[in-house]
Order: sequence, then C-alpha cells, then structure tokens
Amino acid sequence: MLKILIPTLLLIPTSWLAKAKWLWPTTLLHSFIMTLFSLAWLKNTSETNWSTLNPYIATDPLSSPLLTLTCWLLPLMILASQDHLAQDPLVRQRIYITLLVTLQLSLIMAFAATELTMFYVMFETTLIPTLILITRWGNQMERLNAGTYFLFYTLATSLPLLITLLALQNKTGTLSLLIIQLLGPIPISPSVNIIWWTTSLLAFLVKMPLYGVHLWLPKAHVEAPIAGSMSLAAVLLKLGGYGMMRMMLILSPLAKELCYPFIILALWGVLMTSSICLRQTDLKSLIAYSSVSHMVLVAAAILIQTPWGLTGALILMIAHGLTSSALFCLPNTNYERTHSRTMILTRGSQMILPLMATWWLITCLANLALPPLPNLMGELIIISALLGWSTWTIIFTGAGALITRTYSLYMYLMTQRGPVPNHMISMNPSTSREHLLLTLHLLPLLLLVFKPTTIWGSAY
Amino acid sequence: MLIRLSRFGLALPRLLSNPQTRFVSQSKPSGATVSPALTELHPVSEKAGHEEVSPFVKNPDYHGFSTDPVVDEWNMRVAFFMGISVALVIGGTFLRYLPDHGMREWARREAERVILQREKEGLPVIDENYYDPNKIILPSAEDK
Repeated sequence: MLKILIPTLLLIPTSWLAKAKWLWPTTLLHSFIMTLFSLAWLKNTSETNWSTLNPYIATDPLSSPLLTLTCWLLPLMILASQDHLAQDPLVRQRIYITLLVTLQLSLIMAFAATELTMFYVMFETTLIPTLILITRWGNQMERLNAGTYFLFYTLATSLPLLITLLALQNKTGTLSLLIIQLLGPIPISPSVNIIWWTTSLLAFLVKMPLYGVHLWLPKAHVEAPIAGSMSLAAVLLKLGGYGMMRMMLILSPLAKELCYPFIILALWGVLMTSSICLRQTDLKSLIAYSSVSHMVLVAAAILIQTPWGLTGALILMIAHGLTSSALFCLPNTNYERTHSRTMILTRGSQMILPLMATWWLITCLANLALPPLPNLMGELIIISALLGWSTWTIIFTGAGALITRTYSLYMYLMTQRGPVPNHMISMNPSTSREHLLLTLHLLPLLLLVFKPTTIWGSAY
Repeated sequence: MLIRLSRFGLALPRLLSNPQTRFVSQSKPSGATVSPALTELHPVSEKAGHEEVSPFVKNPDYHGFSTDPVVDEWNMRVAFFMGISVALVIGGTFLRYLPDHGMREWARREAERVILQREKEGLPVIDENYYDPNKIILPSAEDK
C-alpha cells in the first residue's frame, strides 16, 4: 500500500517542482505509473479476503475495484483539465494538480481504511479539495451555491455519523472492520436502534445520493470543472455506497423494517430522476440526474442486503463510474468549444465532429445499459435481487430502466443529430487528447466484459 | 486546385481560408426566404476584433496537449504509451492471468466435467442427500 501512497503524496512536490512547460506531461506520467501499480490490488491474495494487510489499511474484493477506479481516474482528470487550465497562471495550475492529488490520497485512504475512524476522517477530507475545485474553478456564479449545498448536505448528516461511530467504539471497544465483521449484532435497546441505524447510514445515503437528499448533486456536478465533475461522479458517490456496505455489517438485522422507507424512496427516485432527465435543457444537468438515477438503484440494492444485491451494487458502481465520467468529458469537449451547455444550442455535432460522435454513441449506449457491458449486468443483478425482495419493485425498476434508455437516446440524438445551429461558425477539430481521454474511459469498460470477476466483490 | 480543397475547411487546417463559412449555405438567398444568408451577417474576416486563433494555425500537428510543439508531441507520446500500451495492454494481461482465487473457475469446470461424465455413464448427476444417511446417528426416541 505504501508503494502507492508515497508516490501519490510525492506527486504534490512533483507538481510544484516540475518545470513550467513539462508540468502536465510529468504529472501525467507519474499518475499513470501509480495506476499501473494499483492494478496489483485486484489480485486477491488471501482466503479471508483482506489483502495488503497492516493495522490501518487493507484491501478486500469490495474495496479493490473502487481503489483501482480511483487510481485510474487521476491520469484521466489530468488529461481532461489540461486544456482549460492552459490559460491559468502557472501557480494556479500547480495548485489545481495539488488539489487533485490530495483528493486522490484521501480517497485511497478512505477506501483502504480498516478503522472506521480513519474512514470517517478521510470521508470528510475528500470534501475539502472538491469544495475548492467547485467554488474556485467553476465557471458560473452558481458555483458558490453549489459548493454550499455540497458541503452542508454532507456535513449535516456526517456529524451524526461521527457520534454513532464514537458510541460504537464505546460499546464494542473497537472500530476495526476486521473485528466488527465477527462481532454479530450489537446489543442496543430497540428505541435507540432506530436512531443508531439512521445516523449510521444517513451520511452515506446523502452521499450516494438517495432521492430526497439528492439536491446537492445536480448543482455540484454542473458547476464543477471537468476534473471535479469526473471525480464526483466516478468516485465520490461510490464512497457513499462503500460506506453503506461496510456499516451494514454492524447494524442489527432487527432494524430490517427501517430499510423500507429508504428502499421505497430509492425506487421512486429511479422513476423521478429518470423522468427529470427527459426535461433537462442543460446537458451536464441531464448527466447529473442520470447519475442520481443509477446510484439510487445501487442504494436500493445495498439496503436489501442480499449477496446478489451487494454484487450488483458493486458492479454497477464501477461501470457507472467509468460511464458517468466519460459522459461528463463529452459535453466538456463541447463546452470548451462553444462555452455553452444548453442542449438545443449544441446540436448536430455528428456533422461537425464525426469522430467524437462515435464516443458519444458508445458512451450513451453504455449509459443505457447495453449488453454485454457491465452496466447491464449490474442493473440486471440488482433488478433480480430487488425482485426477490418484493415482486412489486419490478414496476419501478422496469419503468425506470425504460426511461433510462429513453433519456440516454434522447441525449445522443439531441447532441449529435439534428440541424447544425447557425451560430457555431468555427469549431476546432477533436484533438488526440480528447480521443485518448474517452478511449481510456471506454476501453476498460469493454475489457471488464471479459473479466467480470474483478468487480464482483466478495459477496458472490 | 488547392482552392477546391478549401471546402474541407478545418480538416486541412493549413488552408484556413474560409473556416467560418464551412457550415453556411453558400447559395444565394431565394426570394421565398426573406432573411439574408449568414455570410452577410458574419462577414468573413479574421482581423475583425480579437478572435481566438486556432492552435492548429501555428502547429498543424496539434495534439491537444500544449501550444509548444515539442511538449505537445512528448505529452502525446507519454499519454498514449502509458495509457494504452502499459496500463491497458500490460495491465489487462496481468488481470487476465490472475490466479483462480478460491478455485471458483476450477469448480465450474470440474462440475461441468463431472456432469458430462455421469450423464455418459447413466449415473444420477448428484446424490439427493448431501450427507450419507447411514453415517447420521440419531438419538433413539426416549420419553423424557
């Protein structure tokens, strides 16, 4: 683990000491080397599932795909940010990379933490670089509002989580995941149980987000610069899912009925957020709501706590991470040319940038869960698990899946087909950088078709 | 002859003669349409005001990384080599040849092999009892 943490930490001095014109190639090279090392985490080396074990940090088949996804995303964020930061003064570019690296470090330590305290501290630490990215480098005035929503939604629910963790430490004497998984149900009085259950999970439900507390997400995703949107969509949402999967081990199964309102909210959220997508005018906002609709499905799957539910949740989290990040990169390529995210103003791109239309097509197909991509596999497993929990969920998941496909196609058709607007009179061709960025998002997704065991997790 | 190639406009960035008019109808406005052709609304002139100069003007081989051509070239090489050849190809090979953890793939292959073998021999595919019933020792029924 240190072979990844130390290079990540030292990427900060690298970004400050690299020469001005070699800053971006150097940091890119450095981050790709770390990505290569991070692939080693996907090798599960022990029977107890915990690999690379030391008192504070470990990886297991649940966290290793998320860790690898995090490490994969840093070079992609660097690639995506190069263009819009070229105008910024050098010091600001260095600060930007430092923020990305700090975010990366805290994410790695969050996913790899064995102690829930460390997980909590790192969970909160990820908020700070993201907040700075959104509020300093966002492009519109609304970024301040977005930053506020983002920060306070998460903080309001995570402070009760801190109290729960402290109470848990008090009660059981430990907060180590390695021990907690063996403890069995915690003896708490039934009235306190409800509060305990809610406070432990609410922070993660807000992060996921659950429909009802999802308002921060469209704001934050839209106002963030591209690297911020990518990391938010691809990794930060998964922190919520991961946290839920870990906390569920501890929570007493007596609180089973407490899941009901949240699962209902989640299922209703699939329908509602997918429908909202069909009415969006802002492209990034559409993709943000699409993220909500997928993650809400993941939330429902984790709440029902069956092995298939957890497996499907993990597969969908990884697949959605790659797809959603690609989906944010695509309108960013448009935004860098036209400085507009309005969908009707950026139509007909297939005529102007035909190669980019290929990536639009593949990414929209991935978003609508085309077989044999893991997006579909995750969704199918989740839908089957929910069906086993209750037959009525098929109404919500089926209708939600239908609307998902509708808005994905709608997004593709609106941006690519149709008449080219008259006001776009000079668009630069797509650069190799943009093609590479999208390839590096979509090729791993295609490769995962052939080796799904990497993202199955430990429950399968 | 080169003038004819200018209709490709941005595809051949060396000939940025009329980039702005690429997607604009060049035909004269007919009597039915009252609005003037866009060429009259946006006169072709690179010099009007400050406009963004496409980086392809200075560096026709612009890859998208940097305006300095040397850095651009090297950045492209690093990005493509590390991203595709190293991370995807070598990383992908590593993942493909990961050992079979928990013998799951072996278990699947073994199950398929055993089923084929048993069906060929006509034996039942699997015994309906998990444990051998003769080995289970039950307490005798006693009145308590």
